[in-house]
Amino acid sequence: MKISVVTPRGELYNEEVDYVVVTSKMNGEFAIMKNHIPIISTIDTGYVKIVRGEKELYTVVLNGVVEFQSNICNVIAQEAHVGMNKVSAMEHLNTVREERIRENKRRNVDFALAEKELKKSVKDSKAGNL
Amino acid sequence: MASMREIKSRITATKKTAQITKAMHMVSASKLKKAEGIIKSYRPLIYKLREMIDNLLDSDDALSHPMLVEREKQVVCYVLVTSDKGLAGPYNSSVFKAFTAFVKENHQSNDEFLVATIGYKAYSFAKRMNYKTLNDDIINVRDDIQFIDFKTVIDKFTNDFLNGNIDSIVVFYNHFVNTITQIVEHQQILPITNGHIKVKENKEEEENDLKLIYNFEPSPQVIIDNLLPMYVENTLYGMILEAKASEHASRMTAMKSATDNAEDVIHTLQLHYNRARQAAITIELTDIIGGANAVN
Repeated sequence: MKISVVTPRGELYNEEVDYVVVTSKMNGEFAIMKNHIPIISTIDTGYVKIVRGEKELYTVVLNGVVEFQSNICNVIAQEAHVGMNKVSAMEHLNTVREERIRENKRRNVDFALAEKELKKSVKDSKAGNL
Repeated sequence: MASMREIKSRITATKKTAQITKAMHMVSASKLKKAEGIIKSYRPLIYKLREMIDNLLDSDDALSHPMLVEREKQVVCYVLVTSDKGLAGPYNSSVFKAFTAFVKENHQSNDEFLVATIGYKAYSFAKRMNYKTLNDDIINVRDDIQFIDFKTVIDKFTNDFLNGNIDSIVVFYNHFVNTITQIVEHQQILPITNGHIKVKENKEEEENDLKLIYNFEPSPQVIIDNLLPMYVENTLYGMILEAKASEHASRMTAMKSATDNAEDVIHTLQLHYNRARQAAITIELTDIIGGANAVN
């Protein structure tokens, strides 16, 4: 069976796998194996464990849907990150988010300051008055 | 007539401006390409979501959600999507113009609606016009826009809508037609009108008559509760992406015409300069000839 993880920023992951385990805070845990009947489920905060042979990968998902039909598993997620284990993947996602929010705040302040400065220098240099 | 030195300094100044606008044109061109790529990678997701919702709503008529129910419109929230920075031609002002025209037609006073702003320009516009705003902070639209950037606003929208504070949400944004044409459009994102979703579905039905029967985990209602907010969030995200592409395209054309204008100005100034130079030479010559005549 196949799995594809899609986020607004494009496809994150598309591989042939043995089976997946879907875990979500709200719904608990279930596994989807080959030839499972079509199923749709949602993930608020949780992860999808992807198993192939000996290898395991964790896709941490925030706000997502899992759809399975004709041996294709579609994971649609608002935000997702693929990692070797769930703790590090989750941490990575969280740090990225926090970093982003902080940066946005900083930019806001910087932007306002720059705007003020620009206004002042435009006034000082009397630009536009011929 | 202006002195030679004055003209010369104007020429160099204009040349420098032209250089800057040319650089900005090129930067916007490459950013536009990137933005188009992002839109492309985003599209499959929204189609997939829409398909799922359609399937779900079709499977069970009893399914309902407040986001699907049209209410009597008392408080409408308008979302203005603009850029952070100017120098983008008519990009921002066309949104404002369309919005003010729309307000004039549909509302008597400013108290009847709320405005939510995305982008610094829209924020200052709303402040200037004394509109009631939904968000207190400025929401940046960066070039590498990400979902998290406006997550808080979208949450606020959906919460206010579900609480009944807002009865409908309409977005004003620049629809990206192509590099030269961007049209301001307004679209309602909440409540999700049935036609909004179903239009797409009819097309799909023709393609595959055989519908799959899904198992819903835990229940269809829970899933629709989760899917619809996600759909709304992503629709808005898509609009912002499109607005971003429009911004780059608009800035590109604006900068291109600025560069062209600067070149025109340089050309005329050059003519003036040459004439002034010629005049100076003629004066010098007559001086010399006059002096020589006086000696003789």
